[in-house]
Amino acid sequence: MLGIRLGRGSLGTERAQEALAGYAFIAIPLALFMIFNIGSLFYSLYISFWRWEILGPTDFLGLRNYQFILRDEIFHTAVKNSVYYTVIVVPIQMALGLTLAVTVNQIWRGRSFFRAAFYFPAIASSAAITVLFIYILAPDGLLNHLLELIGVVPLSFHNRGNWLGHSDTALNSVIGLNAWTTSGTMMLYYLGSLQAIPSEVYEAAKVDGAGGWTTFRRITFPLLAPAHYLVAVVSVIGALQLFDQAYIAGGADGNPNYALMTIVLYLYNATFRQFEFGYAAAVGIVLFIIIFTATLIQRRFFGSSDWASSR
Amino acid sequence: MRRWLLVAASLALVVAQACGGSSSSGGNFDPATVSGTVSLSGWQASPEEGAALKTVLDGFKAKYPKITVDYQPVAGDYAAAMVAKFSAHQPPDVFYVNAEVAPDWIKQGVLHSLDDWAGSRSFDTSQFFPGYLNAFKGADGKTYGYPKDGNTLAMAYNPDILSAAGVQPPTTFDEMTSVGAALKAKGITAYSLSSTLDRVLAFIYADGGNLLSADKKSSAIDKPGFKEALNFYLNLFKMGYAKTPSDFGVDWSGKALGEKKAPIIFEGGWLDSYMHGTFPNVNYKWMEMPKGTAGKATLAFTVSYSIGKDSAHMDAAWLLLTYLTGKDGMKIWTQGGVALPSRKDVAAPAGKEVLVSSAAFAHPWSFIPGFSKVLDAFNNAFTGALQGNGNADTIIAKTKQTLDAQLNQP
Repeated sequence: MLGIRLGRGSLGTERAQEALAGYAFIAIPLALFMIFNIGSLFYSLYISFWRWEILGPTDFLGLRNYQFILRDEIFHTAVKNSVYYTVIVVPIQMALGLTLAVTVNQIWRGRSFFRAAFYFPAIASSAAITVLFIYILAPDGLLNHLLELIGVVPLSFHNRGNWLGHSDTALNSVIGLNAWTTSGTMMLYYLGSLQAIPSEVYEAAKVDGAGGWTTFRRITFPLLAPAHYLVAVVSVIGALQLFDQAYIAGGADGNPNYALMTIVLYLYNATFRQFEFGYAAAVGIVLFIIIFTATLIQRRFFGSSDWASSR
Repeated sequence: MRRWLLVAASLALVVAQACGGSSSSGGNFDPATVSGTVSLSGWQASPEEGAALKTVLDGFKAKYPKITVDYQPVAGDYAAAMVAKFSAHQPPDVFYVNAEVAPDWIKQGVLHSLDDWAGSRSFDTSQFFPGYLNAFKGADGKTYGYPKDGNTLAMAYNPDILSAAGVQPPTTFDEMTSVGAALKAKGITAYSLSSTLDRVLAFIYADGGNLLSADKKSSAIDKPGFKEALNFYLNLFKMGYAKTPSDFGVDWSGKALGEKKAPIIFEGGWLDSYMHGTFPNVNYKWMEMPKGTAGKATLAFTVSYSIGKDSAHMDAAWLLLTYLTGKDGMKIWTQGGVALPSRKDVAAPAGKEVLVSSAAFAHPWSFIPGFSKVLDAFNNAFTGALQGNGNADTIIAKTKQTLDAQLNQP
């Protein structure tokens, strides 16, 4: 046979062997994923039907945990805050990320410096950045000093210059801080896709006499569609899971006046302050459903999966 | 075959050890025969605290040389770490319990009650200030921890600023208002007042108000005193006599005192180490909380040493617990100034007499299981009221709603 395998059987064996080798390579991560992600997902679903406290299950509740969640006003506030946050922060993150990516892509000198500089906030710990922002946004902080320099008097504002401490501005302040920290990551996603656009397309556009804006609008933006999908999905998931910035800026109770109460903060409270694990698991399942639905809608919105994967 | 033998042998060993170690709660308890290792856990607020605890543990070692203490402080989220250990049925033998979570942990059945031991092994609990000890009593009337130390709220003020403005520190609520007005006339905001229940409640008690009925079975929030105190407190903000730490641009009132943004604050003994470390040149003095219409009142904050229901070495744990909370251990623990005694028979460290003696009229900061929800409801409603979304009535309504829901939980 001289090593040439043309028969169906031999090709099949080879494929099977190849597949086997592939599975062998991913066996350990796959096992971990199955146990700690998929396994714990189903286990939480199981827990969510029980009154489950520190020492384990006490009563079977059926759907009562879910009924409580859907009736709790604080959970409503948490959902409202998380959704508001997501709806505002995701477009800002995407726009910032895209702007930075296009800018960095056009600079040749010092490109890696700018890339690193824009990515820096994503590397720094969110806790450290939040603490920094608490100082910047304090009544006698940097932001208010800058405002005073240009003749604005923050003390005359409705929030008396206390951006994170007032219920009307706290959530928007966290939006500002997070849009900034995540823009670097979004830039990286966009940058990868930008560099994958073949230069012939741009040359053809040039020959046809397209200007800079037209090129961006008609070529760059549409060809980035897979990146838009990825960035939108990743940032919506991240935004709906907002926790650490809210926790550090407002505390576990979501103060001021529940302005910083998010779904995950609510879940944290149910677990580690009220020790109601069954209830917390139910909150987790509700959050899972919300995120899953949001992702399905985005898939619909950004086109079919064929379209996303073929580009 | 040999493997099976090995397994069987180690099993036998485990059983033998378990039997040998289970001599607890007997009538013939002889401390001198107790030996082994006992694990101790808690959080560590400062390096000074760690050093002070080490000195106490040296004292324990000298008294009980056969017992080794394995000290394992928890860094980070203590409640989360302990919950994981309780769920695994492997708690440390002796550990800290914050009075605020004590009702939850008692209800969850993870703590061991101490009364039987105290009776059969004659440990005298009458020397603890009731305001501290009662924080660790369960709904069944049993005690689930002894206070390792305690702290009360008192008034700290800057005498230099007050005398320069020609005013005396206030001793009653009425004087608080007049002092606020006098200082405002000189362009000074008198008070840095926290907008959280763990400060406001001291004022509510002083006006005769209460959160709960005496048996902790129903809410007393709509009884006289509560609303009056809230209105008094809110009015200090409204008149411009007080600001929250957040509105001063600081994270707590101690910093407002240190930075001379406000000359009068209401805090506990933790202020001292902070001021000495961060603002050593700022002069301040302690005074009792101003009196309300019902007289003197303050809040007692405390942490206990407790033993877990699943703790492995109960006898050694009991000896460690009673040494740490007993007269000798507490004397060593508090003499360095990191903590204040929770016992009447241990003298107060110099300069902290007010904070210790205030324990006589202090109410414990410990309520019912699920209290964190009530706390959050009050704090958020209070901030809302300060920022123009509500008033004393809305605070009461929202807190009562959550409180009733927690009281009616099975």
